[in-house]
Amino acid sequence: MNKVLNPIPPRRSQYGVDPGFVKKRMAEYPEMKAIYLRELFPELPQVIFPGENGLDKVRQAVHKELEKVDMSMIGPEDSVNICASHHGFTLVGGEPYAELLKAIKDVIEEKTGTKNIRLRAGVGLRFRETEEYIKSFGLDEYFAGKAKGVAPVDEGIPIETEIGTLYGLKSIYDADWIVHAHNSDVREVHFHRQVDRAVKPFAMSYARIDTRSTYHHNLGPRGANFTARAIFSSDFVQSKFAFTAILEMSPLGIIGVDADNDLYSLNDRITVSGCQNYGKVMTLLGEIDECIVGLDFPCPVPYVFAGGVIYANFVGANVDLFDLDNPLPPYTWYTEAFYDSKGKPLFKETPPPNPAIKMVVHNYAWAGYPSAFFSEHIPTIVVGEKQANLFREDPQNLSYMKHSVFAESLDAAMAFAYRGTGTDKVIVFDGAAGGINVSKSLYELLKVKAPEVKTRVDEKLFSKWLKQRGINPEELNKKNEKCR
Amino acid sequence: MRLVKMIAQVDMDGCIGCKICERICPTLAMEVVEGKAKVNFELCLSCGNCQQRCPEEAIKMVKREKPFTVFVDPEQVDKKEIERICARAKMNPEQLACYCTETRVKEVVAAILLGADTPEKISQKTGIRTGCKVECIQPALRLLEAADIKPERPEGYQWYGRTPTIWDITDEIKELYSGRGFYFDADIELLEKIARQKENHEEGKNE
Repeated sequence: MNKVLNPIPPRRSQYGVDPGFVKKRMAEYPEMKAIYLRELFPELPQVIFPGENGLDKVRQAVHKELEKVDMSMIGPEDSVNICASHHGFTLVGGEPYAELLKAIKDVIEEKTGTKNIRLRAGVGLRFRETEEYIKSFGLDEYFAGKAKGVAPVDEGIPIETEIGTLYGLKSIYDADWIVHAHNSDVREVHFHRQVDRAVKPFAMSYARIDTRSTYHHNLGPRGANFTARAIFSSDFVQSKFAFTAILEMSPLGIIGVDADNDLYSLNDRITVSGCQNYGKVMTLLGEIDECIVGLDFPCPVPYVFAGGVIYANFVGANVDLFDLDNPLPPYTWYTEAFYDSKGKPLFKETPPPNPAIKMVVHNYAWAGYPSAFFSEHIPTIVVGEKQANLFREDPQNLSYMKHSVFAESLDAAMAFAYRGTGTDKVIVFDGAAGGINVSKSLYELLKVKAPEVKTRVDEKLFSKWLKQRGINPEELNKKNEKCR
Repeated sequence: MRLVKMIAQVDMDGCIGCKICERICPTLAMEVVEGKAKVNFELCLSCGNCQQRCPEEAIKMVKREKPFTVFVDPEQVDKKEIERICARAKMNPEQLACYCTETRVKEVVAAILLGADTPEKISQKTGIRTGCKVECIQPALRLLEAADIKPERPEGYQWYGRTPTIWDITDEIKELYSGRGFYFDADIELLEKIARQKENHEEGKNE
């Protein structure tokens, strides 16, 4: 068995406790081992990051990909907004995404001559999060002071779409041209259901609250991401859109960079790779019969990572989240809204949160995202008084601690979790790259289950998922060959 | 229901009177007077919007001496009226309108029936939009519309307008995109089923 992989270190942020209060990481326990994703699924693609000279490889990949992208629409005096999102900075430490943004700027400058290139970095529910990343990764200096965090409550502009008026953020669109800098991490598959994944920021981090609320309340669990398509396809956005460049992700890390003037073509490509690569890891996690979950990563509760997927995915792993025949995932905001005040679902076929999760040990995760659903439905122990108070005072988590218990130390929390659940299977969401830190017993279970999962995804589920999204992989391959 | 434990506090030396806090406050608790932001003690529900967007970082959240709760009891109003408005808005009275404050649709409708005729007044009475401040403006606007109220927009950019719902998607759009993973008709069926679901907690009696 392998030694544990290094967890992502705590990050100083106003949304989490000071790193000094994180006294011990879950990966430090002797019973913890690392299971490498490549042991489970040897066919997963090779990564360029993490690895030797990883950042250089990211930069080289950006330059190479952008060679084929048409930038002739951008004049030497034109202004360009490179639009980014906070999620990118949570991937494998954040540096690769920062490098992508820097390299895009350099190539635009080289190819078009313009110096008026700005960074507009959108957020979700933590309005200063990208301001923190901009400082931390030196983006303010790199963009000569033209780097700005934007939030969904900032001033908006109306965008006429084929379904009616929606609202974008004024400062996202205040340039002659916009460049969409994103990533293909599957992430919130419970929300977007891997439909138009590449387009989503147009309805989220580049959008006003009015639009985001449309997504989560007005269009339904499988229609929601049409909000993004409607905005992106609008005449207004099309008149400003230059191109997209993304970090191509797999659960192992960064496998490359993809760029295109045609966002929908790029979207089809990442739909395929997302289903293929992340689909296996998620399906495997759905095979876990019982476990204790450790949250130990610098992000809000649902966004902590293990094996390249987020905790919210694991909460829904008892259901095939890629299968669009399943209307409501066990966790999504539509699902959460449809539990009544007595805790009973209004739609009786609502699947429960993953019953394999017997207890959650919240060692380190941020506030700044409504997370009470998780502690209300899954027994949760929060480590440390500082962290408990952070949640008590967070306007988005007024009830999180009402449903949680509190332990003074990680040791006390783990002892309670082992006793209370009777299981010795533990999975830690700590961002370890290339694998998952798990207990020995869970290591063995995952090894046993992986071959059958691989066969099921390759031979049955993958084609079903693509068919539901109107993608024929053979036709897509032919199209991509032509482009090359 | 919203428990209010904190309040915004302005550093007068740092405040430049830019009015951003005034323009984004969901309860209209901020006002710039003589070039400085002032916090309305009663109206501030400690959402933190101002603290998060102040360009000078001149606002912080501090503990209130006496926490208080805002809540509108739906029992105060006619249940049939709540059901009528919810049915028009295609929502279930029991469903959540705001995830952070756990405010249910029936409480929002009760606030409307008791005189809250703008999203800001609904927020002041129920606490809705004072958690994440992002996701729950549309339920408020849809419910006001279902109550035949056209709210007046405040001078800032607290909100812009009611946006499309899944029922506004035309047949042409459905036909064009239903093969691309957008299950509009199936979702309409699901949402309408949930909207019609009666409050009934006895096993086996769900619709």
